[in-house]
Amino acid sequence: MSDGPLIVQSDKTLLLDVDHILSDECRRAIASFAELEKSPEHIHTYRLTPLGLWNARASGHDAEMVVDTLLKYSRYAVPHALLVDIAETMSRYGRLRLEAHPVHGLVLVSNDPAVLKEVTRGKKIAPMLGLPLDDETIIVHPGQRGFLKQALLKLGWPAEDFAGYVDGEHHDIDLVQEGWKIRKYQELAAEGFWHGGSGVVVLPCGAGKTIVGAAAMAHAKATTLILVTNTVAARQWRDELLKRTTLHEDEIGEYSGSKKEIRPVTIATYQVMTTRKKGLYAHLDLFDAIDWGLIIYDEVHLLPAPIFRFTADIQSRRRLGLTATLVREDGMEGEVFSLIGPKRYDVPWREIEAQGYIAPADCVEVRVTLTDAERLNYATAEPEDRYRFCATTLTKQRVAVALARQHSEEQVLIIGQYLDQLDALGQELGVPVIKGDTPIKERERLFAAYRTGEIKCLVVSKVANFSIDLPEATIAIQVSGTFGSRQEEAQRLGRVLRPKADGRGARFYSVVARDTVDQDFAQNRQRFLAEQGYAYRIIDADEVLSAD
Amino acid sequence: MSTVSFADELRSRNDAELACLFNLRPDLVTPVPSDFSALAARANSMPSLIRAVDGLNKWQLDVLTVCTILNEPFAKSDVTALTEKAAGAVIDDLWERGLLYKDGAKYRIVSNVRVRIGDEPAGLGPKAPTDVIYAFAQLKKAPEAAMTMLERLMWGPPRGQIGNLKKPGEAIAWLLEHRYLIAMDSQTVVLPREVALHLRGGKVFAANSATAPVLEGTTRKQKEIDRAAVANISTFLRWCEELAHNWSDEPPVALRSGGLGVRDLKHTAEHLGVEEVCAGFVAEMLFISGLVVIDTDDQIMPTSAFDIWLTKSHEERWRGLVTLWLETSRVSGLIGKADQKNIAPLGPELDRAGIASLRTTTLALLHENPELDPKVSTLLNRMKWLTPGRFNGEYIEWALREAEWLGLTGQGALSSFGRALIDGADDLGVESALPQPVDHILIQADNSAVAPGPLTVELANTIGTLADIESRGGATVYRFSEASIRRGLDHGQTGDQIKDFLKRTSKTPVPQPLEYLINDVAKRHGRLRVGTSNSYIRCEDEALIQQITVDKKLDHLRLRKLAPQVLISDIEISEVIATLRESGYLPAAENSTGILVSAPAIRRAKSRPKPPRVISDFQNPSDVVISSAVRALRAGQKASAHKPREVPRTTANETLALLHQYIEEEASLTIGYADTNGGVSNRLIDPLKISLGTLMARDHATGQVESFRIPRITGVAPAATE
Repeated sequence: MSDGPLIVQSDKTLLLDVDHILSDECRRAIASFAELEKSPEHIHTYRLTPLGLWNARASGHDAEMVVDTLLKYSRYAVPHALLVDIAETMSRYGRLRLEAHPVHGLVLVSNDPAVLKEVTRGKKIAPMLGLPLDDETIIVHPGQRGFLKQALLKLGWPAEDFAGYVDGEHHDIDLVQEGWKIRKYQELAAEGFWHGGSGVVVLPCGAGKTIVGAAAMAHAKATTLILVTNTVAARQWRDELLKRTTLHEDEIGEYSGSKKEIRPVTIATYQVMTTRKKGLYAHLDLFDAIDWGLIIYDEVHLLPAPIFRFTADIQSRRRLGLTATLVREDGMEGEVFSLIGPKRYDVPWREIEAQGYIAPADCVEVRVTLTDAERLNYATAEPEDRYRFCATTLTKQRVAVALARQHSEEQVLIIGQYLDQLDALGQELGVPVIKGDTPIKERERLFAAYRTGEIKCLVVSKVANFSIDLPEATIAIQVSGTFGSRQEEAQRLGRVLRPKADGRGARFYSVVARDTVDQDFAQNRQRFLAEQGYAYRIIDADEVLSAD
Repeated sequence: MSTVSFADELRSRNDAELACLFNLRPDLVTPVPSDFSALAARANSMPSLIRAVDGLNKWQLDVLTVCTILNEPFAKSDVTALTEKAAGAVIDDLWERGLLYKDGAKYRIVSNVRVRIGDEPAGLGPKAPTDVIYAFAQLKKAPEAAMTMLERLMWGPPRGQIGNLKKPGEAIAWLLEHRYLIAMDSQTVVLPREVALHLRGGKVFAANSATAPVLEGTTRKQKEIDRAAVANISTFLRWCEELAHNWSDEPPVALRSGGLGVRDLKHTAEHLGVEEVCAGFVAEMLFISGLVVIDTDDQIMPTSAFDIWLTKSHEERWRGLVTLWLETSRVSGLIGKADQKNIAPLGPELDRAGIASLRTTTLALLHENPELDPKVSTLLNRMKWLTPGRFNGEYIEWALREAEWLGLTGQGALSSFGRALIDGADDLGVESALPQPVDHILIQADNSAVAPGPLTVELANTIGTLADIESRGGATVYRFSEASIRRGLDHGQTGDQIKDFLKRTSKTPVPQPLEYLINDVAKRHGRLRVGTSNSYIRCEDEALIQQITVDKKLDHLRLRKLAPQVLISDIEISEVIATLRESGYLPAAENSTGILVSAPAIRRAKSRPKPPRVISDFQNPSDVVISSAVRALRAGQKASAHKPREVPRTTANETLALLHQYIEEEASLTIGYADTNGGVSNRLIDPLKISLGTLMARDHATGQVESFRIPRITGVAPAATE
């Protein structure tokens, strides 16, 4: 029996012993086809999924390589059935190809007539197809490129898209590397995307996704539409592009609720794109306003479902998805794969962290014992009010304030869900509060002041959760939050994970009321954070208060 | 051609030849027959012959078939003329098997072999009538359509349907005229044996079956085969363990017909993460090994044998399972086959004769071809040649599938463990090939623990109570949760013991959040206590409660103090009140909401009323009732006047014997025959023949030939004279 670092489980998970001498080599080998599910301190778990295997096929790996890798590094014998299954799954990708035919336009091609026959018989697929040209080629109705890919993926026969892209309107864009340098992995990511045509680049929060986007634009040298989550993020993109590329202010347009500019590079928000007037999407024309050469989707894991539908219509344009995670809470990973494209580049968080680009975070759960009165109130509260009740107790507030005061020398961010609680905290600490109703201008002003260090402490609500760069934050204190959703955790941690100028470590506090549902949610949080490999410990509120 | 002469011939065989015969047909000596005529009778008996003939390969069977065509006695040369030269050796072999016997230098065939081979051996029709002499040269002049017809019949079946014998087509008319076809009845013609043999070119069979079909497939390296087999073996043993544990936690309830229900099977498959057929197989293996059993209350549960099994080495466990698999007549592949109704695992309908020998033969074939992963189609061809009588492609494919699951094979070829088992080796080498058990786990900060290999039994048991299994395979991933820790506490461990245990077994430091979790759960565990009691005494005066607890006269109430103001007792409330009153206290009863029950003086039984049945005089019936009763009686009278004589009931054996007798006598008889609704009617019939549990007879009532199922015949009597 070989003594490899990898254990293959029957549920298609792979366990990697990180303390093993070969673990780095093995990690690199399996990263191309298996998805990292969790990476706690000793054993990392990867999972083999059809999508992951197809992603590997898309980037040029074959089943033999996957099987060889598993056999090479596996500690125990690998069940034959599993290997057969892998080969079977991988052979499905690329059996069908979408190609551009000189006469008939888009065609579906396969060297395997049986497969072609099987899929064309599908009820959903038949209407998208026209006449067969021969045994191996069928005409695809114009405009069905995206929908066909979607439907084929659902059938388990993902099609490889060789139909090519329109170049779009030419526009000169170059990177300006003055005072900064593009990082190796960012360059590789942009190149990986460019060679693949379309696809998704997975980079952790704070790893500089914007720069990958800018580099991709420099490759494309064409008009670009950038879709982002909200207006603040749109402005950050604009600032970043102005700083990093040859683009001028009048070349970049913002297309949001307040402004409707269409320029060679246009940044639009998801929200405006999905706004409906009288049941119709009012701003769809934007997709056709300019002959776009590149479309960038920021935070693909949050892409709203309607955007997928529009995306299906624009399959002939190059698409780049940027995200920190391929996991979607709504399980629409398949849509991302078929409509935006396979994964083109992926760097796990830890790897970038090890390279020093992300500050290592220290996660601390502060357990607060409620007073007897509070406990009694909590116990008698209606079930639906319970979380709010324990999350906003005065005792918790006291601890949060004490923590903020302890770190008064550092850049502190207090994050919460309930506005009264946030207001109370802001008042007590005498710091500004950013909520949903804070005007964009004011928000930007506060964020800017925070970045320069003028303001040391900010209290933010949910609205501040997505895509705002606050690279100087070193301490995050979470007082309340929606029920332990994985995404929110990732975002919150992202706040404090951005690289620090002086290389200091960041700390993530969550204040939790003992023996309440709050603690149950904290357990989910602990699991998620530990799975991501962060150190996690629990301390008692008394420790905080006594140090105060 | 009498059995006596077969007996004589057997008697003349020498000891070695007899030993050889008994080796080839062991059923002839179990039990040992009393003399040679008994031996001859047994060797000629249908069950023994079926077994012997089924044991022949295609070539032997073909030669035997040819023997049945020939007139007895026949010489070896007669057989080789109709087949191949090599047939001579087979004749000797068939003789050794006691299927042929010698008559001087020639051979005769044991009489019942003909019955076994059938009326139309090798698709040949009956012999032509003796008066016919064929001049085959004239076939050249035959109409083309006639030749086509002959070609269609020449390889059998030799019978053909025609529209009407009286108005045959030109071709058939020609054939009938020259007697190349012979009419059997108004719609059937048959090709005589001589004609068919001529058309076949003087040979009985189209293809020469003297050589076995070749196995083809992929060649694998024994090392890789064994690697794959080891994975299969460890996986299978794990499945067995896992399933038994699962059923111990949640025993499924067996179907009324015995066996595991569809839903439970599905659940089992999901639990093991395998297909249902595979889960069914694992369940069957546990069942036939006696590791699980259907308990008296119909729950399917592991037995104590399972606990013993767990202490055995992996090799012993595997050897036990595989040996049973080779012997069992149960065919797990049938599970879920819905021909008529669903066949359940652990149910009574899985037994099939001959499957064990099919498995052994299949494995022997793999044994002969080391490092070969045969293509299934070629393997099936070979098996068909080897055992034409027992061949069942589906069963063989199942056997291959199961052998792979069991790890007898790896990547389709026989593993060295399987080979050692077949060779009867003492050490199969399984133990050393399997990964060595590990005695530690790695606990991680996300409250999961990984056992990086198979755990020792004790360790696995303990961790199993403390954590839930999240993923299985070479390693096991456990997850600690509030519920799993609580389960550990329920098993009687304390929080400190759990922490100690984890510290001891974990190679990595126990993460601080896990310790917190254990402390949290341990602190809350058992804070609420639940118990049962029959009555309580409560009193706001604590002194009075104290007085009652020390009162000697109340000792037998076995009162227990729950709180300063509350006592509980296992005694019924009425007795407690009575005893308290006798001792001079003044208790009052209260109901479940605490309201005083003021008048408990009147006592009532708790059980439901079950008044005795009323027995009284009859009431005078109404006129309507009377008149309808009279009508009914009149109708009954008429009916009984026309009632046919009842046929006496006969037992099944009597029925059969009587029917045979009547068939021989060609006499009419009356039978009682039950219809599908269970009503019995009498039929006057002329019996014709009995086959397959059915009596063919002409029914006097209809004049038609009808079939009667023998089990439905309630009785037989001579034809009644009316």
